[in-house]
Amino acid sequence: MIELTDVTKGYMTPAGMHVVLDHITATFPTQESIGILGRNGAGKSTLLRVLGGAELPDKGRVKRTGRVSWPIGFAGGFSSSLTGRENCRFVARLYQADLDEVCNFAQQFADIGEYFHMPVRTYSSGMRARLAFGLSMAIDFDTYLVDEVTAVGDTNFQKKCKEAFTERQERSSVIIVSHQMSTIKQYCRRCAVLHRGKLVFYDDLAEATKLYEAA
Amino acid sequence: MRFLAGLYAQLWVIQTLSLRETRTRFGNHSLGYVWALLEPLVWIGTFWGMFHIAQKAPPTGMDMLTFLATGVIPYDIFSKSTDRCAACIDANRGLLFYPQVHPLDIVFARAALEFATYLVVFIVILGAHALLIGGFAVEQPLMLLEGLVLASLLGTSLGLVFAALSVENNLIDRVRGPLMRPLFWTSGIFFTMNSLPLAAREVMGWNPVLHCVEFVRSGFFESYEGNHMSATYVLAWVLSFAFIGLTVERAVRHKVEVA
Repeated sequence: MIELTDVTKGYMTPAGMHVVLDHITATFPTQESIGILGRNGAGKSTLLRVLGGAELPDKGRVKRTGRVSWPIGFAGGFSSSLTGRENCRFVARLYQADLDEVCNFAQQFADIGEYFHMPVRTYSSGMRARLAFGLSMAIDFDTYLVDEVTAVGDTNFQKKCKEAFTERQERSSVIIVSHQMSTIKQYCRRCAVLHRGKLVFYDDLAEATKLYEAA
Repeated sequence: MRFLAGLYAQLWVIQTLSLRETRTRFGNHSLGYVWALLEPLVWIGTFWGMFHIAQKAPPTGMDMLTFLATGVIPYDIFSKSTDRCAACIDANRGLLFYPQVHPLDIVFARAALEFATYLVVFIVILGAHALLIGGFAVEQPLMLLEGLVLASLLGTSLGLVFAALSVENNLIDRVRGPLMRPLFWTSGIFFTMNSLPLAAREVMGWNPVLHCVEFVRSGFFESYEGNHMSATYVLAWVLSFAFIGLTVERAVRHKVEVA
């Protein structure tokens, strides 16, 4: 479970303080997958980083219980001078998981061939996302934080992602951010819209879509 | 119990980071670990040449190589710890994605790696010297170690200050180099505190790195006993830097951007 209490975060820009998250109070239960809709620049990725604990809010509290993944997406989480395999070993060690098991699983899932043994800096953004996704699937989390990553790659990879989550449905949930409802629909029954720093939950996806498109 | 669990978790993270740092620190070029050894040797060679041209001899009871090595190594521990810790956030933004990795953990991991690296380099240089020229005796090993540990603490705490300030303003990365340069010439790499005239000693004595070098030489050489160094003085700097560094780090923590 992740609880946000009065979470506020902004960035300093030449034009002044830009508030991305504006006094958000929300609860994400462990057993429920929730989608977060927002336009580009609405602060979806920032919200995900705050949920995962990668960045701290300026004000307010974030309380996490259970194992929460790091934000899985195109950017970050890898050191670019190390190979894919070395990165996997590092993360496996960090989470105290079995090194070989994690490496094999991630390699198989990412399916990036010889690139697995090459420095991550040579990867395309799609390959990075594939590896990040495979790696996170190799480690058991209660909640996965996903940043539009399932929209990458060919339909084959997307199918693989969907299957991996379906298989984990019983024990883990996913919080997924996206700018399109179609992605969220595949994984979640409930969603929230992030707009102008505020997060509003909707039990009905159709209703959310309507309001999101009107906004 | 919670404290112990927390301590274990943090030590685990630091150990994991140290292993990774080892790869990124030495794995990026073909020279690898050899470079860690080569770099101080180049400095020693340079000063050796300068002493030779100026027709100056090392202080009595010291030979040129050990005299210079006992200066270069503690200075390197200090300056490399500062550089590596100061740049730790910028170089590791990707790692901050993992919530258990905290900038302070990276500082500790890097500091530990620098200390271990230069300790090994020191042993290799002195060992080679003993094999080739003969005669290897450390007068007071603990005092030598004291000097190295003080240099490491000093460099790490100063690096932490720079790292924390750089979150607020990246100008600090530009001024760091020029700010540190005077220390190179005043840290006793090529002179001892005892040999300085009073006026010079009173000025140079402000430099805490010089005190660290004095401890190393006093611990190493039978013939040398520094009369002017003080561990309390160095520790006062360390505590001040640590206090400032940790305070600023806490204040700017929420501004660190991961990427």
